[in-house]
Amino acid sequence: MTNIVLQNLFPDFLEKEKIERSQIWNEHITIHKGDRLQIVAPSGSGKTSLVHFLYGLRKDYHGSILFDGKNTKTFSPEDFAKNRQTHLSVIFQDLRIFPEQTARENIDIKRMLQPFHSQSQIESMTGALGVSTKLNQPGKTCSYGEQQRIAIVRALQQPFDFILMDEPFSHLDENNRKKAMALIEEEATKRGAAIILADLKPIEYFKANRILNL
Amino acid sequence: MKLSFKHIATFLNVGEKRSSRIISSIGLGIGVLLLLCSVQMYYNVNLLIKDKNPRKDGFDFISVTKNITDANMAEDHRFTSADISEMKTHAFVSDAAPLVSNQFRVRANAANIIHSTDLFLESIQDNFLDILPPSFSWHPGQEDVPIIFSSDFLEMYNVFATAQDLPQLSASSIGVINIMLECSGRTGRSIELRGHIIAISDRINSVVVPEEFLQWANKNLEGCVDPPASRVYIKTVDANNTDLLKYLEQKDYHVNKDKTKFGRVKQILQAIVSGLGGFAILVILLAMMLFSFYLQLMIARSKDNLQLLLMLGYSPGWLSKTVAKKWIPVYAIIIISALVFTEILQYLFQQTFLNGREVLSPVIHPMVLIVAAVLMVLCVTVNYRLIRKLLYKL
Repeated sequence: MTNIVLQNLFPDFLEKEKIERSQIWNEHITIHKGDRLQIVAPSGSGKTSLVHFLYGLRKDYHGSILFDGKNTKTFSPEDFAKNRQTHLSVIFQDLRIFPEQTARENIDIKRMLQPFHSQSQIESMTGALGVSTKLNQPGKTCSYGEQQRIAIVRALQQPFDFILMDEPFSHLDENNRKKAMALIEEEATKRGAAIILADLKPIEYFKANRILNL
Repeated sequence: MKLSFKHIATFLNVGEKRSSRIISSIGLGIGVLLLLCSVQMYYNVNLLIKDKNPRKDGFDFISVTKNITDANMAEDHRFTSADISEMKTHAFVSDAAPLVSNQFRVRANAANIIHSTDLFLESIQDNFLDILPPSFSWHPGQEDVPIIFSSDFLEMYNVFATAQDLPQLSASSIGVINIMLECSGRTGRSIELRGHIIAISDRINSVVVPEEFLQWANKNLEGCVDPPASRVYIKTVDANNTDLLKYLEQKDYHVNKDKTKFGRVKQILQAIVSGLGGFAILVILLAMMLFSFYLQLMIARSKDNLQLLLMLGYSPGWLSKTVAKKWIPVYAIIIISALVFTEILQYLFQQTFLNGREVLSPVIHPMVLIVAAVLMVLCVTVNYRLIRKLLYKL
């Protein structure tokens, strides 16, 4: 997948004033593979909704989202599954970790789908984020910060052209944020992929080539 | 590495209690066993009933008359050619032919054996006779009339012959007797002919003469052409065919009950077997409902994990197939066990009740295998579609 186009996109439920103030809602936006896009959005502006729309989890919007010119509203659940395996990766604000499975199982279940890395690289990636000691621990016993880092490593196990991030570092300290961002940028560069990062405020250590206010 | 069920097994919550799964399996097993046994019994009944009624040339011949009751005694109970044509239209009737009787008077006389008695003669199409000597023909002017005599009549004669000081006769010696036939009718004409019994019939209990003779005599002595027949012979592949019996009952035709009694037994047995089959289908449906409740419960319990798997990029189609496949061995074990039990029961039935006679095979009928295969496909398909439906709803 080489580009994502948002055509006059806005959520069904959002107030008119917020849509009018936005640089994304109800605009024509094209995001190319390789781009670094930072979306700055205060609470309640529809940041999580935007990530859900792009990832195909919700369809309660007006306008269109085009993946290489194809309207995603026409996609079947199988089409979305295919995209999520090879073209789109995601890091959610709400972590979405399997509570009963170990951190390793949580990462491996994603890796096995379309392996981009070998199993041994899980060790080095978790090591880089300081959670390698948690690999054999059930997800529910890890702290939010640890769960967030596990979710980040999990999102980097697959091939992707675009990685979507919704407040990906909300539970991390400054030091870990920087490490996580560096790892994500390194992995995105390996794939020539675009990063779409939505957060409450600009992140200075993310080298964005475009910043849009939602 | 190819993904399989074992990779996602830990993400499915199958529940702690295995009782509902075991009860569903036992229920399904009983239902399948009942159904397979019903199918096998259906074929057993058909085979056993056929065996009770040995046939010649692959056909049964049944004599049919119209029922005579006190209420309808005054009516004409003979068959018209339209009645016979109508009979022939049914698939279970291979052919039908009237047994035409003499319309003129016949008096028979045989030295020392028959002392001038009225006699009846009948004729039927040659292809309905079980025995047809080459000399069984007649042409006008021929004084000898060949006769085919019923073996039942010969037996009856031999029973009372000794008491009457008459000689007992064998089937081969009866041919030497000269029977004088005095035939006369309304035209006022009268002729004397010699009758010879040239064959004994097991099938037709009558005194049968060639059709040509009876047509000629009915016409020339009585002035009657093509008289209606009181009896019709039906040629059929199976005298115990339930459709044939239904037809005869519906038309109020009278048949020799002995010829068709196994057909009536078969009707009853088939009704019992069908009832058992219906009950089996009900049990299978109930068991499959239990299975579906169990699956719904499993998917409801694992809803969060399944949603997360779908979110990670697992396709709902792949998940449905993989989870459904997991159940194939369960269904296979249940259905194969039921097949094995059916085979054991068939073997015991053949060995115990039939003392190993080869009337029935100790091996189950191929149709039982087909029904088992169909059930297997049905269970797997229903299971897959249910899981798919539930997963697409998530």
